[in-house]
Amino acid sequence: MIHAILASLVLAAAPAATLHAASPADRAALLAAQKARVTEMAKAPKASPHLAFVSNGVADFWTIAKAGALAAGRDLKCQVTVEFPGAGLSDQKRMLEDLVTRGIDGVSVSPIDPKNQREVLDLIAERSLLITNDSDAPEAPRLAYIGMDNYLAGRKCGELARAGLPGGGEVAIFIGRLEQDNAKRRWQGFVDGLLGRSVDATRRDDHTKPFTEAGYTILGTWTDSFDRAKAKANVEDVMTRNPGLDLVTGLFEYNSVLALEVFKQAGKAGTIKIAGFDEGAEVIEGIREGSVLGTVVQDPYGYGYQSIVLLHALTQGKLEALPASGEIAIPARTITKENVDAFWSDLKAKLAAGKAVK
Amino acid sequence: MRKQWGLLAVFFGVALVASVFGSNFLSGYNLENLTNRTALFSILALGAGIVIAVGGIDLSIGSVVCLCGIATPWLLVEHGWPAWQVVPVVLGMAAAIGLMHGLLITKLRLQPFLVTLCGLLLYRGLARWVTGDQSQGFAGEFDGLRSLALGRIPVPFIEGYRIPATVIPLAVLAVGTSLVLTRTVWGRWLLATGSNESAARISGVPTQRLTIAAYVACSLLAGLGGMLFIFDIGSAQPSDFGNFYELYAIAAAVLGGCSLRGGRASVGGIVLGTATLQVLRNAIILLGLSSQLEFAVIGAVLLLGMTADELLLRWRERRAERRAPSG
Repeated sequence: MIHAILASLVLAAAPAATLHAASPADRAALLAAQKARVTEMAKAPKASPHLAFVSNGVADFWTIAKAGALAAGRDLKCQVTVEFPGAGLSDQKRMLEDLVTRGIDGVSVSPIDPKNQREVLDLIAERSLLITNDSDAPEAPRLAYIGMDNYLAGRKCGELARAGLPGGGEVAIFIGRLEQDNAKRRWQGFVDGLLGRSVDATRRDDHTKPFTEAGYTILGTWTDSFDRAKAKANVEDVMTRNPGLDLVTGLFEYNSVLALEVFKQAGKAGTIKIAGFDEGAEVIEGIREGSVLGTVVQDPYGYGYQSIVLLHALTQGKLEALPASGEIAIPARTITKENVDAFWSDLKAKLAAGKAVK
Repeated sequence: MRKQWGLLAVFFGVALVASVFGSNFLSGYNLENLTNRTALFSILALGAGIVIAVGGIDLSIGSVVCLCGIATPWLLVEHGWPAWQVVPVVLGMAAAIGLMHGLLITKLRLQPFLVTLCGLLLYRGLARWVTGDQSQGFAGEFDGLRSLALGRIPVPFIEGYRIPATVIPLAVLAVGTSLVLTRTVWGRWLLATGSNESAARISGVPTQRLTIAAYVACSLLAGLGGMLFIFDIGSAQPSDFGNFYELYAIAAAVLGGCSLRGGRASVGGIVLGTATLQVLRNAIILLGLSSQLEFAVIGAVLLLGMTADELLLRWRERRAERRAPSG
């Protein structure tokens, strides 16, 4: 009996071991191989391909994206698996490997750290079809990227802050973590937008040190590793240390929500300005009340929906569905008092759709 | 008592450095925030301390914080339950979790480490599944209920400082726990169980009932802590809410004089241990140190304090030995 169990374990492990040993073929060859596979699929398109949408974490943002992916699956009559890695990089790697082992036909992933995920991204390209969403991996053999440019979105947030604080002042930045590519780009975009610099996504400022430029003092950047009690304490402590604080930005959804909460408790809502990112309900209410300047929002529903539409087209052999630039841009939008109501009613409809397909 | 002196020195040392070199450490607003954070984390640490005193360990504290904290707005906002039903139901759920831990550990003789480690996975997983990974919040309502954590009580003659409402449950719980541990036979039995379970059992102490009671108390406090935490922060995401809070609670309890070998606990020490951790975290920001250094600074300062404490104790023991009459 024990021998039988051991034998079955060895057999089950065998394909995984083969996958791990995949050679790091170069990007161009892997791209060509995927395109050749798409052309091959045109001869016998699958009636109901199995496609996957993989996030970079767990958040309301991804719940909306999931609703989009599942809605597309329903419209196109294909099987869609959505995975949310809750424990970071290693969790995402395991999920991606397991999807490949299951014989997935196409994967849309938001890679957490693309530079160090080369192996697993190559593996998908070798065995399936790879596209990226939300956070790009331009050096990986991905057929397309669906999402926005986080640098440009960060700039929009920076410009919003600059418009709300035209005479300069003290600014603090709060963000969940800075390890992932989209966070780094968003951060740099915010700084460049705030300081009125030229557009240059390759620029890299040191986020560990305070600095002054063009009348603005960036006091620092505080991370919290998604611990909201810590995120709230960060805002309180930064406010204590810097009584002259003029503006804060929360570059992850909950950061602005908690900043607003702290300012309300301290009687400083509206006095210390907030430039938000993403669509926290309290931030939306804050925009209506005038205690938040505005917020920059993405379209996660679109990321999910468009990912499945593109992957489905590819499994039907439609190579022409690939954008010439390699990117399908779903740009970020700035929400202020003027357009907040229209945006909110549209989002609520999508959230309801998300709950319906839970 | 010995550990509290070393800890007290670390506490005042850090506070002194922060007030001299940091900005506004002694401002009413900052002290108010520190009191609030200390009260919230102390409630969890008290539970951890009780379980440690009885010779056990509870690794599920953070996940119970998550499940109970998330369940509160989920029932109130998503399901429209009235507050007078939600509070007892959530606390009852926490107590039931503790009862299950206690029964598995005493009746089935499963290891506390394993039982509560499984709990750590189970309760967070449940919270994520029930809510569909959607963050839960009060949507700008229930201000009355939230004032249990957000409320501030003005202090006459002191400008700028108000006592956070979270101090009230902590004070009641700390005084109650301290009285039980030091003034009642149940408290002495509890410590005796932690010191030497077999000896206590043979002496007629109901060790199993005490162990179960300790786990119920711990989960109940974690559940209450979870509710107060979410009242304080307003919304939370089930995948990360309360992550690693068991480590803060256990660290504070052990720093405060609870022995991981059981049989020793000090309520004052637990609150002081929590306060030291919170002052350290606060000082790092007020001193303008990089937040990336936070864990390194906390680890280094605490290690330094404990090492100094141990060396001091050995020096005292050697001195006592030299003074003791030989033969």
